[in-house]
Amino acid sequence: MSEHAFIRDLREIVGRTNVLASAVDLQLYQYDGYLEEHRPEAVVFVESTEEVARVVQACNRHGKPFVPRGGGTNLTGGTVPFAGGVVIEMIRMNRVLEIDVPNLRARAQPGLFNLELGNALAPLGYQYIPDPASQKAATLGGNVAENAGGPHCFKYGVTSNHVLGLTVVLPDGRVETFGGKAADTPGLDLTGLFVGSEGTLGICTEVLVKIVRQAEGVKTLLAIYDSIEEGSETVSAIVAAGMVPATLEMMDQLVIHAVEASLHCGLPMDCATLLLIEVDGLKDDLESQAAAIGELCKAHGAREVRVAKDDAERALLWAGRRGAFGAVARLAPSFLVCDGTVPRTALPQVLKKVAEVAGKYDLRIPNVFHAGDGNLHPLILFDWRDADMKARVLKAGMEILTLCAELGGTISGEHGVGLEKLEAMRLVMTEADIQAQRRVKAAFDPANLSNPGKMFPAKEVACER
Amino acid sequence: MNAELRSRLEAIVGPGLVFGPGEPVDGVRPALAVRPGTQDEVAEVVRACAVAGAAMIPAGGGTAMGLGNAPARADVRVHLDRLDRVVEWDPANLCITAEAGMRLEALQELVAKDRTVLPLDPPGLRRATLGGLVAAGQTGPGRLQHGTLRDWVLGLRVVLPDGERIHCGGRVIKNVSGYDMNKLFIRSLGSLGIITEVTFKLLPMPARRAAVLGRFADPARAWAVVGRTLGSFLLPEALEFLNPEAARRLDMAPDTCVLAVSLAGSPETVERQAREFGAFIQEAGGTAEVLRDAAAVRAWEGIREVLEGAFEPILCRISVPLSATATLVAATEGMAREAGFRAAVTAHAATGVLRALLVPGPDPRPGEVAMALEGLRREAEAAEGNLVLEAAPPHLKARLDAWGTPSGGLDMMKRLKREFDPLGLCNPGRFVGGI
Repeated sequence: MSEHAFIRDLREIVGRTNVLASAVDLQLYQYDGYLEEHRPEAVVFVESTEEVARVVQACNRHGKPFVPRGGGTNLTGGTVPFAGGVVIEMIRMNRVLEIDVPNLRARAQPGLFNLELGNALAPLGYQYIPDPASQKAATLGGNVAENAGGPHCFKYGVTSNHVLGLTVVLPDGRVETFGGKAADTPGLDLTGLFVGSEGTLGICTEVLVKIVRQAEGVKTLLAIYDSIEEGSETVSAIVAAGMVPATLEMMDQLVIHAVEASLHCGLPMDCATLLLIEVDGLKDDLESQAAAIGELCKAHGAREVRVAKDDAERALLWAGRRGAFGAVARLAPSFLVCDGTVPRTALPQVLKKVAEVAGKYDLRIPNVFHAGDGNLHPLILFDWRDADMKARVLKAGMEILTLCAELGGTISGEHGVGLEKLEAMRLVMTEADIQAQRRVKAAFDPANLSNPGKMFPAKEVACER
Repeated sequence: MNAELRSRLEAIVGPGLVFGPGEPVDGVRPALAVRPGTQDEVAEVVRACAVAGAAMIPAGGGTAMGLGNAPARADVRVHLDRLDRVVEWDPANLCITAEAGMRLEALQELVAKDRTVLPLDPPGLRRATLGGLVAAGQTGPGRLQHGTLRDWVLGLRVVLPDGERIHCGGRVIKNVSGYDMNKLFIRSLGSLGIITEVTFKLLPMPARRAAVLGRFADPARAWAVVGRTLGSFLLPEALEFLNPEAARRLDMAPDTCVLAVSLAGSPETVERQAREFGAFIQEAGGTAEVLRDAAAVRAWEGIREVLEGAFEPILCRISVPLSATATLVAATEGMAREAGFRAAVTAHAATGVLRALLVPGPDPRPGEVAMALEGLRREAEAAEGNLVLEAAPPHLKARLDAWGTPSGGLDMMKRLKREFDPLGLCNPGRFVGGI
């Protein structure tokens, strides 16, 4: 069939104006937050599960690959249409479908921004816990695809701990429901398998999540250090003391400077690193927890510990943390967000190594990260117009990930594999491990149309010499 | 096949560790049983069975052996009990890796030395092994605050049905390197392979524990307390409802139902919640008793095990959206009466999961149990929930599917089974949809 017939089919399903196929339009959809670009043949705006299913069926008829896209905040190339085909833009499927307080569940469409769900729940006194720093612009469907994390994972887990059911358009265009409102559904945990599958197992068109009451109280602390090692050692000390803060976040001096220049949160400009710590829960012991944590911070070298006095001060501290990635854009035209995880106690070691890697490749690498989870985000600054620099950035990123793997960690904490980490997968997996994942892919998507080219490194072939 | 396979297995594990016949599963008796001692031996045993086309039944402590349908075939029972070593314990990073045959209780005792806990409290905790726990997905009352296995398993090692060994996940709490393969094996009842090693996240041990036991003549008043709790800020670790029949098994006052509250945390939060729950219970017309520390722990052990240990039990687990829990408890009691039985029911009152043990009354009509359970299943499914048989005599399983109608994705489950176990050698027929 001709190209033209395919576009015509798509227009018949969603209407003429909801299919973009001009060169300029397509150019806007050939990239996301990563460095690689591939142009789609068409971008389709969908508004219902049925439309998604019909678009996917059309892709099957024409043998065209497809990739779902929400806010495009992806940092590993997950939403870049590697093999062309269709970008299915979910952003108009942005309704809260149901807030079921008696059953502690909410249902929403995947194009809804994470923060919007929070805003719908807050007046009722409830919350959906996963809140990635990009929550203003990141959609729930994207959160599901990537198994998004965020700053509250240490105590509350990641997206997959909070998603209990999905409506999914499978890669062959059939619609299925996984999981449901009851706590346990018999059978394989397809919901759990789908969360984090980066669009390679189909497209979710409805998300069913757990909601919880907002905590009775919360205390937010800022600990200020003159040495990054002392800051990261404190994190392990807090955990060793048997405390379970909701949040343990760190940023280093370069990030602090960028954040202050952008947002004026009142952060100290002359320190090496900051720890943002939050405890929440019943109000009775928050004061004593905050005091104990403050003491620990000081015992481990904090020169000052500030406690947010009210919601306004707390909001300011959080604005700084949530705005960190955006603020770092002041420092360089581009940056690569490296996303590795190590066992918490290895943080001081890995941070030292990141500084060495920066020196070795002549790069600046600010750090902002989820210290409680051992999930680091070295932000490797560069100028995308400088090809030599870009090559050094990729080498530096791989070196950091290699170290994370060697220290018993992994190559992605929350941003996924996408295109960026195809080969890095081998740092943490054997060929048999990868082959088992390919079996999952084969069960769901034998025709390999759902976001092809992602997640799986090329098969190892024995070389004849 | 048997003589040849037997000598092959003996060559792998040693002569004293292959015997036959194995213990039956739901009345189906495997000709052989084997006790491998290492993960490598498990892989070799599985490979030998795959070559021989022998169907395998993995077994740990046997606490969940009654779960699921009778196996379509059973040739070799693979005991994991000799795999009981700790592989790596990393207290500073709150994480432990141990082999699948290690008993959960042994792991709990070990990590308690560092004042940490794996907050999973399934029934049969003394005998349950880590691999069995993960495969069967058993949960206990503490899931209210702590969630379930899927929230605590960081990594698994699995021997696939062709003998290939794979590693899923890792030992860090945030890990999105490829598919979340742990989820595929947790609660899959050994249908896709044999779990040989588990890595768990741990939690610092709470400083203080207490329990509040509320007794009520009228169950509606106990449920009123549950409703009030859900609307409050309080954070009980567990909230367990016991109907009078279950309460009687605990030697509690006759003709009352019990609402038991478990509290864990700092002294301040535990004391405050003990006070508030005591008030909730009294204001609802019940009597409240507060137990602390060791007494609280003992009371919860009793509650956790209250439905265990019956001879030839008929035990089912019902999961419904939270707000339907009380209705389903009453429906379960009514269903049991229809067949001349009494139902001892415990409910994780704030998560919508309940378990029921059917106890013969003065005039039991076992022939009517299957139909009564079918009616109850219809009611659970109409409420967007499900009913699963945890244990039942073979004649009942022959008439009633253990799992009911999966809510969705059965075709995909079958496809996954075909990809991972094309010969149908791992627990064939026991899991959902005959997988």
